Amino acid sequence: MKHSLFLISLLTALAFPALADENVQQIVKKAELAAFYAGDDGRTEALMKIVDAQGRKQMRKFIILRKDVEDGGDQKLMVFFSRPTDVKNTVFRVEKHTHLEQDDDRWLYLPALDLVKRISAGDKRTSFVGSHYFYEDVSGRAITEDTFSLLKSTDSTYLLKAEPKNPSSVEFSHYEVEIDKTTYLPRKVVFFKNDNAYRQVESVKIETIDGHPTVVRSKVSDLASGGYTLMEFRRVKYDIGLPDSLFSERSLRTLPKKWLK
Amino acid sequence: MKRTLLITAVTALLFLGQRPLAWAQVPDDDWDDDFDMAFEQDDASTLNPINGFLELAYSRRLQTDLALDQPQTLADARVQFQWEHDFENTQFKTRTDLYYDAVKHNTQVQVREFAWQGSLSDVEWLSQLFGKSVGNESKHGSNNWGEHFDFKIGQQVLTWGTGDYLFLNDLFPKDYQSFFSGRDDEYLKAPSFALKLSGYFNWVNLDFVVTPRFTPDNFINGEYYSFFNPQFPQRNVAPEFHVASHNKPTNPEYHLRLHKSVGVNEIAAYGYKGHSPLPDSTDENGLPRFSDINVYGFSWIRPVANGLFKVEYAYQNALEDLSGVNPNVPNSVEKYLIGYEKELYANLTGSVQWYTERTQDHDALLTHSPWPQFEQEKVRNVITTQLIYRAMQQTLTLNWFTFYSPTDDDGYTRFRATYSPVDEWQISAGFNGFYGDKRHTFFAQFKDASNAFVSFRYFYSS
Repeated sequence: MKHSLFLISLLTALAFPALADENVQQIVKKAELAAFYAGDDGRTEALMKIVDAQGRKQMRKFIILRKDVEDGGDQKLMVFFSRPTDVKNTVFRVEKHTHLEQDDDRWLYLPALDLVKRISAGDKRTSFVGSHYFYEDVSGRAITEDTFSLLKSTDSTYLLKAEPKNPSSVEFSHYEVEIDKTTYLPRKVVFFKNDNAYRQVESVKIETIDGHPTVVRSKVSDLASGGYTLMEFRRVKYDIGLPDSLFSERSLRTLPKKWLK
Repeated sequence: MKRTLLITAVTALLFLGQRPLAWAQVPDDDWDDDFDMAFEQDDASTLNPINGFLELAYSRRLQTDLALDQPQTLADARVQFQWEHDFENTQFKTRTDLYYDAVKHNTQVQVREFAWQGSLSDVEWLSQLFGKSVGNESKHGSNNWGEHFDFKIGQQVLTWGTGDYLFLNDLFPKDYQSFFSGRDDEYLKAPSFALKLSGYFNWVNLDFVVTPRFTPDNFINGEYYSFFNPQFPQRNVAPEFHVASHNKPTNPEYHLRLHKSVGVNEIAAYGYKGHSPLPDSTDENGLPRFSDINVYGFSWIRPVANGLFKVEYAYQNALEDLSGVNPNVPNSVEKYLIGYEKELYANLTGSVQWYTERTQDHDALLTHSPWPQFEQEKVRNVITTQLIYRAMQQTLTLNWFTFYSPTDDDGYTRFRATYSPVDEWQISAGFNGFYGDKRHTFFAQFKDASNAFVSFRYFYSS
């Protein structure tokens, strides 16, 4: 039985190599849409608990507003911080561009100075607000950055291996992502340096909200140091009709309370 | 313990079998009360908590200053209160500092923010006033202009422009005493009582700020730092002077900014009508005063090669000395800034700025000046560089900023390390170093102000 299955897959792969590739691409595309493009727009409250290797805790609390310019394409994002107190009312605004040649546009609003500061495009694989999450974990790593191959397919999951097209731009040599066959959400992503797993992101709890399966609890672990960050989303809403004009300097200075409630 | 966890995990995995939604991998008690508390806390009460910090800060000269006998330049015990209240659509915010200054042995209150803000359309009477003035009766009319305007009225800190620590079109008050002492960067900007109206339109955005009563900078006056005086060129003076009330204008200042994004470009035009923020003029008795100036300029910022490129220009028009012949009033000056900022490596950001001041009618200045040898060069250039490094999961930040003037051959370098491994506290230390060979040039005159500082901040929430 096993032999014949193997034979069939081998034959299929040989006969339809293009189709096999397309399937992986389809999986990845679906996964990207499920994880980062649910609905046309969305709003969530987020809480992070950052625990360092010594067990010291920090909390971050913020509201995210997101609007897709195009499914799988550019997005507008705003992150309104309320915790800790020294960053209260700080707002981070991003115009995410998926075209590889174009950097994201980013602004930071500093309430103590009433200053909107344009900030230069940064390495997306650096810590997001001091947590173990990277910017890219929050905003989504463009699937065009990596070459994917299917390692394993079980009844409920696909296991894909991703290798960076530009290895010098990232700190990992490859990563493996386990994708749920029903929701297409990633259950677990493990990053490797050579063959050593050193970092992982897990979906801990998934709920269906407004028809969209959503990772409401996730955990990222630094496997080397033992530090980790837990993140929980609450009061998630989709398709609330966020206007384009909301994503502007105005909302940084005068909080758009209607959409934050 | 570890073994128990492992067994639990393995058992859980076995039981869950085909649907391992990864529940088992994080112990439930890790998603503990912290989350519930933090999520619920802000919703539970209608009254916001008072937040803020307690701070102890100290700095000490690295050499002696013959004009000032105290070695310490900063000794603050400070508490900051922050509170905000949300009305239905508008908001009230305050941020007030109370501190004991052990250098001057006095207690100070600084209201940094005490302001009400919102959209014009959210305030019925303002909206009606505005609606009527442009011929609209209905608040909800399709072309209600009030919806395009936000306001902020009260004590507030204001900033605009593109420079890092260099201000061309930003004439809002600064506090150089704080800046030189190693107080947090936030204190470089001093508050003022102002009315700000911001308009947002498709074709342009605008900010119009009226400061009903002129608010000057908190300048170097000899209280904490001595400075060069051409009348006594041999040594610095520290007279601790204040500008006499009859030399201090009480009329309003007007600040205007028009700004717009065009693709990835951000362009802005600025205008200012008011007074020089520094008392750099003198009256007929030789006493310091603030002269009338207008400033207008523009800025442009855009991404270039993974970094940000910026240009800013300002023309400061000396209204009381248009031809530059009055030695008691500084001449008009053109200011240029060009800069570039880029992340050099992960967590390391570098920036460089070139700044030029070109004094107008410089020949007339030299001809009429009683001390032509101490006047600023016709063209004064300043180069700044900055490196910011964030390490240890962003709990440690190193910030190194340098000013160097090739025309004056002097400079100023400041370094600050900030460490905050938890939400509750932060420790910070660094130094301010001034250098140069001449006594009278801009940075070199503050050589005896060079100091090292340390501060500790504890954040609280009521």
